[in-house]
Amino acid sequence: MAARGSCPGCGSAALVEDAHYAQQQLVCAACGCVLAEGLLTTTYTEEEHLREVAYSQSTGQKEQLSRCLQRGIRRVQDLCKVLQLPMVFEETAVSYFQRALQHPCFHLVSLEKKELLGGCCVFVTCRQHNWPLTMGTICSLLYAKQELFASVYLSLQKELGLSVPALSLGDLVKTHLNSFRLFQHTADVPATFVEDKEKMVARTMQIVELASETWLVTGRHPVPIVTAAAFLSWQSLQPAARLTCTFARFCKLAGVDLPPPAHLRLKELLEILLRMASQLAWLRVFNMDKKTVVKHIGDLLQHRIFLLKNAFCLEDGEEQRATAPGEGSASSPPADGRRPLLPPCLINPRKRLRTAALSASDSAITGDEPISDSEIEQYLRGPEEIRAFRKAKAWS
Amino acid sequence: MDGASPLERYLERCGGQDDLSASPQLFTPMSPYDVDLPIQTTEDVLFGSQFNQPKELPTDFSSVDLSFLPDITQDNKEQNLSEDGHEMQKEPDGSTSRNEDSSTLMDESGLSYPDATQPSPEASGACPPLTPMTPMTPVTPASESSGIVPQLQNIVSTVNLACKLDLKNIALHARNAEYNPKRFAAVIMRIREPRTTALIFSSGKMVCTGAKSEEQSRLAARKYARVVQKLGFPAKFLDFKIQNMVGSCDVRFPIRLEGLVLTHQQFSSYEPELFPGLIYRMVKPRIVLLIFVSGKVVLTGAKERSEIYEAFENIYPILKGFKKAS
Repeated sequence: MAARGSCPGCGSAALVEDAHYAQQQLVCAACGCVLAEGLLTTTYTEEEHLREVAYSQSTGQKEQLSRCLQRGIRRVQDLCKVLQLPMVFEETAVSYFQRALQHPCFHLVSLEKKELLGGCCVFVTCRQHNWPLTMGTICSLLYAKQELFASVYLSLQKELGLSVPALSLGDLVKTHLNSFRLFQHTADVPATFVEDKEKMVARTMQIVELASETWLVTGRHPVPIVTAAAFLSWQSLQPAARLTCTFARFCKLAGVDLPPPAHLRLKELLEILLRMASQLAWLRVFNMDKKTVVKHIGDLLQHRIFLLKNAFCLEDGEEQRATAPGEGSASSPPADGRRPLLPPCLINPRKRLRTAALSASDSAITGDEPISDSEIEQYLRGPEEIRAFRKAKAWS
Repeated sequence: MDGASPLERYLERCGGQDDLSASPQLFTPMSPYDVDLPIQTTEDVLFGSQFNQPKELPTDFSSVDLSFLPDITQDNKEQNLSEDGHEMQKEPDGSTSRNEDSSTLMDESGLSYPDATQPSPEASGACPPLTPMTPMTPVTPASESSGIVPQLQNIVSTVNLACKLDLKNIALHARNAEYNPKRFAAVIMRIREPRTTALIFSSGKMVCTGAKSEEQSRLAARKYARVVQKLGFPAKFLDFKIQNMVGSCDVRFPIRLEGLVLTHQQFSSYEPELFPGLIYRMVKPRIVLLIFVSGKVVLTGAKERSEIYEAFENIYPILKGFKKAS
């Protein structure tokens, strides 16, 4: 077998392995020049010369993984086992993790970030398979700060060019309600509070769909909405016994966290339901308020399409009516007591101090105007000031 | 007689010929017009009239322009030139095969294409319409402009003062400076007119933020340089460059972000758990837009004012299409 390389003496490629007594030598067949000799190989290059090829090179794969990568992969696998994800998810997440660690921007980050990276890969895998995993869950599993998780997630998405589908609200409802402990009678859950899971899931889904149609979901964190919807649906299934239970108590009984925005979501949902109730013929007689409307949620949901159309003026209708008399925006209140179907941020705009647009004098600036000395000197300290400052602060 | 494909019909007729040696040039795509000359002499006079007007006769294949492709009209010539360049890059094989099997296309291309009056129906049938593989911008129908002009909110620029600075000295002698070396290694200086903030580093580099227009940013940067000069440093004003421009505007109708992320998935990122707005990364021009449910849009990442305007004109039809659908 001919050896690789060429003879440094004559340049011929005819190198032959020969043995001089007991010593192996690499000799050029053309000029007889000895290229290498010696049995003791102390460096890898010598091995190459005598052509002892390592297994990893012959198979064409670098079999060795760095310890950091091994640890990271094990962490990803543990996370998948804790979340009870299918095997396919584990493989996908591990492959994303390996790909990500090769990128320069993830190669040299802190260990904390590398662990978050593993969590992000699991999160992305779940979302791509429409498995409703929220960031909150992953962050609590990793004991991570959400801002750090957010930054690692966004950079991972950009570097690997992953397309992550949006969180499906329907699946989130089912998963979130799974963690509620209201479906069985226990010591702290009275009999009247126990509810059938199927009915509760169905009604919560309907309320969440209603919220999504009325602009309460877009741009907001999904979990508080699901919690508020679950509370309303639970109350409405047996209003007599449950109207007295507060939201906070409900969450404590169910064993679920009460996220702070959930109160506001509840208020918004009730406002929508009250408006819908005002359009239902047999409810107009009653003076509905936040408590009593809960009793009729079933009816309201059943006729929600009709009620939404009547209770709220849709965008197009508002525009047509507004442009006809020559009015401008939708801020003028309609005469028949309906309000436009808009996101809450447009209904109650927060008064913001808006900086005025560029005035005419500002736009005339060319950037090359002369700068007066007096204007600059107003920014400089006088000598007494400097002395006083020096005394007050010890400038090291 | 159909003036568009005399050559094609001739070639069909010649397809039965076995004797290739007689006219070897017949099947050489490189010099198609050599084919014409034997035709005139040996075949009917019918074809003769077709080839009496030699326009540009490209014998070299590489100079063939593929602008005869069906969707090109005279007006769209310039717009689609880049597209054609793209196509030519992508499918060199396709073009050669096309020219081999129907040299009518060669004929058409021989006619200088400003004569767009000669339609090429054969060409449209013969070659498949080519489109870029990945959309650079989302396809938008031609529509009138939105009438809304984004307002610039912030300009970030950098300039090199080209001298080493003593930051402690500056912080001591200037009223409008703050310097906290433990927190950040630069002096933070502010001036009232134009209302801006500058970060001044000891290397002499300076970042100026907060201006509402490019000219204001330049004026402010010059004022900071003058302050540094008055403090006794030999400051210059080199390499002034606008690094980033931020604009914002309001489309005046609510937007269904969940729907937008479904249809424009490759450009959008909408994570309500992280941020209430949708992050839209436009490829051409390279601008990042933050789109909110209230209809407010923030555009950032521009180096030129025109990029912001162009990006908004690109996104407005998409958002408007969304509004009608919901």
